[in-house]
Amino acid sequence: MNRSRDNILDKKLPDNMLRAALARNDPAAVELIWDRYAGDLLAFLQGVLCSRHDAEDVLQTVFVRIVQKRQRLVKARHLDAYVFRIARNESLRLIGRRKKERTIAAVNESCLIVPEDRRQPNDLAEQLQAALGRLPLPQCEVIVMRIYRQKTFSEISGILGLSQNTVASRYRYGMEKLRTLLENLTL
Amino acid sequence: MNNKNTQNEQLESILRRAHVPEPSLELKERIIAEAAKAWNQTSPELPWQIPVRRLLVSAAAAVFVIWLANCSSDFTLAKWQSGKVPATSDQPTDIEALPEMPYGPFVRHLASLNRRSSVIDASALNDHIEALRHILEESPQGGAAKPPTPAGSRSRLILDPPSNISYS
Repeated sequence: MNRSRDNILDKKLPDNMLRAALARNDPAAVELIWDRYAGDLLAFLQGVLCSRHDAEDVLQTVFVRIVQKRQRLVKARHLDAYVFRIARNESLRLIGRRKKERTIAAVNESCLIVPEDRRQPNDLAEQLQAALGRLPLPQCEVIVMRIYRQKTFSEISGILGLSQNTVASRYRYGMEKLRTLLENLTL
Repeated sequence: MNNKNTQNEQLESILRRAHVPEPSLELKERIIAEAAKAWNQTSPELPWQIPVRRLLVSAAAAVFVIWLANCSSDFTLAKWQSGKVPATSDQPTDIEALPEMPYGPFVRHLASLNRRSSVIDASALNDHIEALRHILEESPQGGAAKPPTPAGSRSRLILDPPSNISYS
């Protein structure tokens, strides 16, 4: 309970600051947006696109879009949901373009990093990434936010503009699929 | 249920062995530079511009829809409009000759009757009047109308009973 209240209080200040900077048309707002969203957005995009290179390109496009729509951002009811919606749309646009042009991701580089450890299999990162890549997009994005950005279901529901129950059920279904996909690892 | 929870926790711990890297400093510089460029290129939207733009778009859409409806209507009615418009008023159109009447034969017949009755044939009318005058002149009273029956008297419609009929 205390934790969630702290989260809300922590979040309110940058939210207001960000809106104020955007309303003043202050270019410093870009830095604030970066500090607030860059890490989460990059993880989200890597989870969706399964490519670090593509995720970085799309992140750049997302920032340009945010800047172009800055006045709408000031009035957005849910700032996080608005920003992540832009990211989702841009990543889907890239996926659609790839399908249309029948090209694959530019660089097949792993998005996940596994610290060097003798007990772990060498290709753990590749296996995890392959399994995440085979999940449906809605489940994948929830799992990435939950596992790799340590977000609560409440925060994820705010970010994605969904109910907490939907987020929790997507997480559960995604984990069930991952369990079957990574059966050899879990055993 | 417990078994499932344990499996989930185990899977979460495996997933957490890996992590997603934070954005690099180079990436930050690159993206912020691009965003700053975009910031300078795009002028901020004034608050009143958004509803005005929406209104203009709605008006344009409405005009387009009306124009489309007009075009569609003209196209549909094109085959019903004859080439010489005055001819339709001067002489009666032969309804039977029109292609593709949208109604059944009965309605077509009614329409043709209606068209025919609206046409005044002067010679036929003259003949009709002459015939009527002739009938009136041949009648015994010379066409003079009988005065109306006074109130209280017997109606002319009731015939006088014949004198040779007895009711007993």
